Order: sequence, then structure tokens, then C-alpha cells
Amino acid sequence: MAQSVAATSTAKPERAKPAELVQLIVFRLGDEDYGIRIEQVKEVTVTPEVARMPKTPPFIKGIANLRGDIIAIIDLEERFRLRPAGRELPERSYTVAVEAADYTLGLVVREVPRPFTLPLSQIEPAPEFVQDSSTRDKYLEGIAKLPEGGIIIVLDMRKLLTPSEVMKLPTKTTSS
Amino acid sequence: MNKRILIVDDSFYMRTMLKNMLTDAGYEVVGEAANGAQAVEMAASTNPDLITLDVILPDNTGLDVLKSLRQIQPSAKVVMCSAVGQEVIVTEAIENGALAYIVKPFSEEKVLEIVGAALQNDAAESAA
Amino acid sequence: MKTRDQEYREMFMAEALEYYDSMSRHLSELERNTDAGPALNELFRLMHNLKANARAMGFTDLGEVAHHLETLFGLIRDKQREFGGALAKVVFTGVDVMGTMIRAIGASQPLPDATALLDNLDRLVRGEAPIIDAEEEAESEEEAGKKMELSDLVYIQVKKLDNLLNLVGELVIDRDRVMTLAQELGNPALLATAQHLFRISDDLQYSVMDARLVGVGVLLNKFPRVVRDVATAENKEVELILSGQDVQIDRNILQIITDALLHLVRNAVSHGLETPEQRQKAGKPAVGHLTLSALTDREDVLIQVRDDGRGINTEAVRKKAVERGLVSAAEAPKLDEQQVWALLFEPGFSMAEKITDISGRGVGLDVVKLALDSLGGQLRVESELGVGTTFTLVLPTSIAVKGALLVEVEDRPYAVPLMHTDTVLALHPGQLSVVGGLLVTHFQEQAVPLVPLRQLLYDEGDEPLPLATKDNLHGTQQVLVVNYNNRRLGLIVDRFIRQQNIVIKPLSKPLDTIDLFGGVTLLGSGQVCLVLDVPALTRLFLAKRA
Repeated sequence: MAQSVAATSTAKPERAKPAELVQLIVFRLGDEDYGIRIEQVKEVTVTPEVARMPKTPPFIKGIANLRGDIIAIIDLEERFRLRPAGRELPERSYTVAVEAADYTLGLVVREVPRPFTLPLSQIEPAPEFVQDSSTRDKYLEGIAKLPEGGIIIVLDMRKLLTPSEVMKLPTKTTSS
Repeated sequence: MNKRILIVDDSFYMRTMLKNMLTDAGYEVVGEAANGAQAVEMAASTNPDLITLDVILPDNTGLDVLKSLRQIQPSAKVVMCSAVGQEVIVTEAIENGALAYIVKPFSEEKVLEIVGAALQNDAAESAA
Repeated sequence: MKTRDQEYREMFMAEALEYYDSMSRHLSELERNTDAGPALNELFRLMHNLKANARAMGFTDLGEVAHHLETLFGLIRDKQREFGGALAKVVFTGVDVMGTMIRAIGASQPLPDATALLDNLDRLVRGEAPIIDAEEEAESEEEAGKKMELSDLVYIQVKKLDNLLNLVGELVIDRDRVMTLAQELGNPALLATAQHLFRISDDLQYSVMDARLVGVGVLLNKFPRVVRDVATAENKEVELILSGQDVQIDRNILQIITDALLHLVRNAVSHGLETPEQRQKAGKPAVGHLTLSALTDREDVLIQVRDDGRGINTEAVRKKAVERGLVSAAEAPKLDEQQVWALLFEPGFSMAEKITDISGRGVGLDVVKLALDSLGGQLRVESELGVGTTFTLVLPTSIAVKGALLVEVEDRPYAVPLMHTDTVLALHPGQLSVVGGLLVTHFQEQAVPLVPLRQLLYDEGDEPLPLATKDNLHGTQQVLVVNYNNRRLGLIVDRFIRQQNIVIKPLSKPLDTIDLFGGVTLLGSGQVCLVLDVPALTRLFLAKRA
């Protein structure tokens, strides 16, 4: 499926009339393709050194220095429980820095994320039936079905990045 | 709790003096604006109980600022500040919704009296 | 010692000189183009301000000249007079005279006589011709060349200074990195340049910090009024003594502690000091003394609130603390005096016996501790029953740079601000004992509990700490003794790295909800280092203590 995405990324959609186009940054989590609208992405970089942050849930890898900004690095495979057994993150991973209203977060991914353009009409709202499967569905903008087959799950960062969603913290531990 | 005041005056010296008088008396000065644009912006962002407004400002006349302030912050009480000699503007200001005016140079007692009265009387015409 | 009057005067001077310069500029513009509306408006405004400010300062003569010129410019603006000819000449003279007056004020000299000028301005306002004598004209020609003065003071928004300080912080981090690289590469020319960079950025950092310093007096001088009001409301007689107004401190620190200091002062007047009758009965002078003083102690600034009142009734506090559920009845008798006093600053503790206008509004002294914690400051309490109480705020001089001790736990560096560190100890197992499931050592005749920092940081969940045993302690233990609110805690770490000045960056959202960390700092190596928050760490320890 990754190949199919790469193949279409250069080809203009046929109905390029006034159809509204959406640009996505696409990356893999587990065996699925995920996309984020490019306007929510600040930059894509090789993951910098990550310092483990005590008292955070396991899907927070830690904090890293991204051009002087200290940002939290989040592992969505862990968050959505998509990590295939025995496939830890590679030594060299990539970080997609995404922007919330007032802060930046890094999403760590296995492979180099790719840009991908498609008409907005191809993104269908998330179907109801997946809603019980995992927390992920709360953050979906929709699912893009590609003409060649395969799908891209489009995440809405604004829903994902609320502090309470990110932290899911046992904050009681530090209060006396 | 403490009443919140926005000071609008283009003189740093005047602002400081007003601010000291007001904070000493227990008011909270939530902002100091040096021109009309700042005044309007700060009034919108700080939502003060009262605004002291100099009649002569660099980018706008105090009157225009007063009109904008009355529009965006109708609940804020406005007290005009002016040196003697600008009574015409002050009269017009009162007609446009300013509650009172303070004549510079002012004494601490006078300022506190007028500000206190303006804050107390919701609709009073407490011109001094 | 800078009084408020002096400050007003400096402000007035700086602004007056600025106005004078602008007036001269606008006048030249008006000379070139007599229809320059904006220049006219500006001249009118500047005259108006100078008039108001001069009158407020009591410089009536200067105010008069400005008033006349304002009137004249009002007429010119309304097209009733035209700028030029004799009128322009008088106006130039007028502005010159104002310049002379402003300088005379600055030099504390008598102001020149302006009667002739004022007469001429009056004539112009009435529409008559001014009287200009030849001598005066010659003189003004002569003067034309010499006066050019800019104000020695510049006003700057704190926001701009904050920005500058942040940039310098970044620079210092990069500098340290360059230094590390240069040392690794071993190139002598690079090393020399890096060292030079090091010194310059040090100076720069110092200068920027210096620019943010203000005298503590700007805050202390607000208190006579507060004390007077509280004393009146409480029927107390209080003499307030201020000292150390010149002690310099970062403006933002002063801002942060304003409320804390207000609370301490109100508290001292309403609870610390007795009524005149009570004082006389106790053999004290009827008038209570309250001293507010600032002093420097090495890198720190101490602000003290001292009263000669009744002192803290330790037993009453102890009893109250039990009533409020702050300590258990079993625990309370074991607390020493200092520990009991520390309870005064716990949220929800208030010693007020009656609700007055001044205090007892449900806001307790805990705001004091909160403010100090946010700054990494400390609070000291000294008190003697019947003699008085002293509260000392220990504050850093500057917000941005803090001395810190870098320690290592599980291969990661952590920074602990020196403000909260007492000492480091290397203890062999024989110096440790287990008491009630806790590791304890004796230091300065005090039992200090010890806890592996690893456990506080990495143990998940709410479970209490595991019972300590000496079995898994091998060899010498590296212990950092931290101190918060008079409570000592020994943190066992893997090793001490070094002591270093660090620039603390706040943790950004969403991580700022973890109060265990006061922020992060970047080490010279580029490594991210968490800064531990000793108050939160202490609270966590107390909560998890079995």
C-alpha cells in the first residue's frame, strides 16, 4: 500500500476542476498509513536526542530540543496500540513536528513521511463502526480511499493535541 | 475585589504618577496605554472597570478614542484627564459618555475622589 | 537612596528633554512647510504634556511658557495665526527658553526669568506684534550653535528586556556548546576564539541582567500607605522603618513577590503587632515597630519583614494545625519549632481570630510560599514569644540564571537549583540507618531522611515507597541534601557531575502540568537536562513515605 501512495503522489487528480485539494503529510504507524494536513505540520526532521521524562505515560518518549524549543515527543504507535510485537522503533526515526494552538509536539515515526495531495472529496468522514476499536477514532478527520486501493487515515491534530488527551496523566502522584 | 483600571496618557511621567496614586489606593492598574490604538487594544484585552483617558493623544484625539472605547467597552467607566485650557473637548467628552474629568496637575486626593465616585455611581454624572 | 520624588523628577527630566528635542524637530519642519498639520498637532500635544507635567512637578514658570505656546499653537492650528516672521522668532525663542529651563531644573539651578517672553507670547495671542530687541536677537544667534542634548535615560518595555534576556540565554547555551566542541577538537585558534566568545557573552549576559535591575525601593516605598491603612483599621500604632531601598533586583522578581510582601506586612500589622494597650501591659512602648529591609547576601537578595510584636505562639499553631488536619495529632508533638512555623504557610492555615477587613479573607500566607516557590526562593522564619517575628524572603537577584548542581541518575543528568541545596555527602553504609522503613543519616545533629532519587522519579503510581533496607546499598552513597521549608531531604544519586550556572527554560505545554520539574536547561553538549523542583520533590516524598 505504501507503494500505491507513492505512485499517486505525483499524479494530479483527474477532476482538477474547482475541486478543493488537500495536502497531507503521510506516515506509517504499524501497518497503516496515516496523514495529517500539511498546515498542521511545522517540520519533519530526523528525531533528535530524546530525554526520558519521568512521570509521563509510556507513549510520551520524552522531550527533545528542536531548534531551541523543548517539545514533547509522542509515540502514536504506542498511543493507538498499533505497535506490532517485536518491532521496536528503529535507531534512526523521524519526527513530525505538529502545531497545536499554542504549542508544538513531535510525533515519532518509523519511515520518512511523504507529502501527498488529494481532493478533499476523497476524504470520507470516519465510519461509525470503528468507534469502539480504539481511542484513535476520536482524533479522525476521516478516511481517504485511494482510487488505486488502500486508505489513508487522516488525523485531526487539533483534537489529538489537547493537553488532557496528550497527557492522560496520573497527576495524583505528585500532589500531596 | 480590587477595581481594575486602565490608564491612557501619552506622558510616561503622568502615567507613572497616576499609576502610583491608584495602586497605592488599592486599585489594580491593568494596563498603561500611550496612544489611542493601544488604548482600544488594551481595553478590549483587559476589560477594565474604569479608564482614565487623556484628552490629547498622539495618533488620535482623545475624543475619537473615547467614542471607540464606549463602543467596545460600554461597561467601562471613562474619566477624562486634561490640563486646563481644553475645557471644550472635556465638555464634548462628557456628552459622549465620559463620567467625569480630572484636571492636571492633579492632587492625589482629587484623583482618588473622582475615580472612587465614578466607580461607585453607575450612572451618576459625577463631573468634578 | 532613591525616593519616589527623585524618581518622578528623573522621569520628568527625561521626558521633558525628549519633548524639547521633538519640539525643535517639529519647529524646523514647520519652518520649511508652514502647513505641516501633523507637526502642528504634535507641537500642540507636546506643549500640552510639558505644561501638565511641569505644573505637577511645581515648575510653574516652565508650565506658564508651555501653556502660552500651547495656546499659540492652538491658534495656528485653527488658522487664526500664521507661522512665520516675528511670530516664528518668538516661538523659537520660547522653545529655547524652555530648553534652558529644563536644563536648569536638571542641574538644580534657578530658572531664567521669562517675563519678556511671556509678554510677547501674550501679545501674539491677542494678535499684536511682539517686541523684539536687537540684543536678544544677537544672543539667540550665538546660542544657536551650542545646544544639542539627548536624554540620558531611555524607557524600555519590560517585554523587550525579557526578549533580550531570552536571546542571551540561547546565546549562552550555544556558547557552551561551541566551547565543548572547541575543547574536543583541540584546535588552539578555535579554542582561543571560543574563550573570547565565552567572556564576551558572559559580559553581555551580565549587562542584560543589570539592565533589568531596579531598586527594591520601588516596591518598599509603597508600604507606608499600606501600613497606615491597616494600622488604622486595626487600631494599632505602628512605626514603619524602611531600609535597603537601593538593593538591586530583577524587576520581574519584584513583581512576583509584591503580593507576598503585602501579605506578610498586613499579617505583621494585624497579627504580629499588639494593640497599644496590650503592648503597654507587656511593658513595651505603645507604638509597634515594623521594619522592612532589603539586603544582599552573596548572590541572593534578602527582604525582611520584622516586627517587635507578640511573636509566634508555637503551641497555638501546633494545635490549629491538628484541628485543620494539616498534621496528625500523633505527628504534631514531634515537630520542632521551625517545622511548626512552616505550617503557617500551608494552604488553608490562618491564625486570624476574627475576620477583619484586612486579613482573614480566606487568603493565607500560602501565597507567600507559592510566590517563593515559583522563583526558587526560600522563606526563613525567626520568632520569639513576646519579642517579635522576622520573616525573611531569600530571593535570587536575577530570574534567568541560576546556580545549579548537576547530578546523574540512570545515565541522565538532572539539575538541582543551588538555592535549595544544603550540602553533598558521601556516606558509607555504616553512616546510614533504617528507621521505620526509611533510610536516615545524621547530619548537623539532625536526622535527615534519605531516598534514592531514582525511586522518586521513576516509580510509577501512587504506591508508597518500598521499605528501605541496607541490603541493596553497595559502597559509598552519593547524597545531595536539599532543603525546602526547613525540611531536609537527602537524595541518593548515581554521581555528581558538576556545579554550573544554568538558564532555565520553562516546560511548554502539555508537559508543564508535571510539577516535579521546574523547567529544562540545555547543557553545553546540547543535551536536554530537566531541572528538578525541590518543593514538589519534597511533597512527593512526603506523600509516598510509607
